[in-house]
Amino acid sequence: MSDYAMPGKSKRLLWFVWACWKSNLLGAMEFRLSFLLMAGTMLINDVVWIIFWGLYFRRFPVVNGWELQDVMMLWAVSAGGVGLMSTLFGNSSRIAGLVVSGQLDVYLSQPKPVLLHVLISRMSISAIGDVAFSLLVYGFYGDRSLIGLAKFGLALALATLIFIFFTVVVNCLAFWLGGTDGLSAQLFNALVTFTTYPTGIFRGAGKLLLFTVVPAGFISYLPIGLLRDADPLFMLGVVGVVGVLTVGGIWLFYTGLKRYTSGNMMGLRR
Amino acid sequence: MNALTKTFKYVYIGRITLRNQLAYVVDFLVRSLFLLLILYIFLQLWRTTYAGEGTATIAGYSFRQLMWYLVVTESMTLACPSLCTKLEEEVKSGDVAIKLVRPIHFIAFHYTEYMSEVAIRFTVNSVLGGMLGLAVLGPPEHAIGFLWLPVVAFAGFTLNFMLGMTIALSAFWVEETRGLEFVYNKFLFTVGGMLMPIELFPEALQHVVRWLPLQGVVYAPAKTAVAFDSVDVPSLLLMQAGWIVVFGLIAAAVYLRGVKKLNVNGG
Repeated sequence: MSDYAMPGKSKRLLWFVWACWKSNLLGAMEFRLSFLLMAGTMLINDVVWIIFWGLYFRRFPVVNGWELQDVMMLWAVSAGGVGLMSTLFGNSSRIAGLVVSGQLDVYLSQPKPVLLHVLISRMSISAIGDVAFSLLVYGFYGDRSLIGLAKFGLALALATLIFIFFTVVVNCLAFWLGGTDGLSAQLFNALVTFTTYPTGIFRGAGKLLLFTVVPAGFISYLPIGLLRDADPLFMLGVVGVVGVLTVGGIWLFYTGLKRYTSGNMMGLRR
Repeated sequence: MNALTKTFKYVYIGRITLRNQLAYVVDFLVRSLFLLLILYIFLQLWRTTYAGEGTATIAGYSFRQLMWYLVVTESMTLACPSLCTKLEEEVKSGDVAIKLVRPIHFIAFHYTEYMSEVAIRFTVNSVLGGMLGLAVLGPPEHAIGFLWLPVVAFAGFTLNFMLGMTIALSAFWVEETRGLEFVYNKFLFTVGGMLMPIELFPEALQHVVRWLPLQGVVYAPAKTAVAFDSVDVPSLLLMQAGWIVVFGLIAAAVYLRGVKKLNVNGG
């Protein structure tokens, strides 16, 4: 009987995920000053955008129905989603590089689900600044009632899942096309960039793009379609996209894995 | 004769850097796609804003002027290489020891390298941004301003180098300097006028910003290019020259102090 067929496997898996996250954080905290600098500079980076939007909305209070509070919550959801992805599943955006350089071998040789193990084995320290920023913005501009908190938590969870599995999908191209890390990074950057602007400013082909090829619209419309007034049709679309991306991402990864060729690089995971 | 030989040294350094950079033009083109993405988003944002305002101009800028302003500021910003990354690596790897014993001035060497790299990157960005601008917006309203752009942009890049070098030289003391550069760049984005012209800021902030060196980096060149009739070019160039001298002297002083403190790790 394999380890996973044994009773209590889900509990053991959760312990494994928890242990990975804990050791990643402890590793990051080893260099405390560097940790604080990296997380702090990311926080400042995000604050600069808030200043930009603050100046913008001071001059133009409403843009196509979007107000300052909506854009602030857009940043809270977007920065929080990408921050949670990079903090807890920090290898998402590095899969293409791992595939091309043959560095998946070390994960294949261990008795854990490969994709999950790959995703959680790295933590981006600077992304912790994004998460802190997200919570700060929510604290200042969000609805702090119990329902508001639940809605914000749901928005964060949905945004994080879209970020993770869109990134997995574009990185899996490397299994078929080889060195696509540049292309995957460009697509990921496009998703992140588009999620930080109100959907109300896009029209025609641009808007279509945001709700299809680069599904940024499903994140950037959350402040209106979920946080301000829950729109059932939009929420159905978001859940559908999350489902398609999650199933598609996992399927693409394991299908691609069959084409993976081992490298001769020695690796070690403790 | 001696001065002429010294000048030639830097000309050759510049030529070598240019050749190195030319080998990566295709790579720059791919990376410049991000410039097009950002310009596309700003195009949508400001088109919606102008439509919402229902006026032909905002703070003296027409929609076309504002978009050409952003083409210039984004092209310039994305053309600047990271000085902190370079100096930090030199200090950490010990390569700085080789640079210091060469018969060339450390800051002048980096300035020549920086400007050569900027020349290629800015050309690529300008061509791409210009093509997008011409296709979507049509030609700029005051083409004469764009004739002055190379001069004012040259001064802007030089000022950015002096400011960046002052920060990067702190690598002689602290090694990790990229965070400081990151914060500096963010100031350049906002109060430096990269994301929107200074005229759109609240009045009180405009007064503060006018006293900062950052306005000489991207705001001055972009404003000259798109609103030539409302700028006094000699005054702008004088302002840029003044800040270049001030930060050139500060960078030289920091270098002289830092080089005495430097502990080289490797080599």
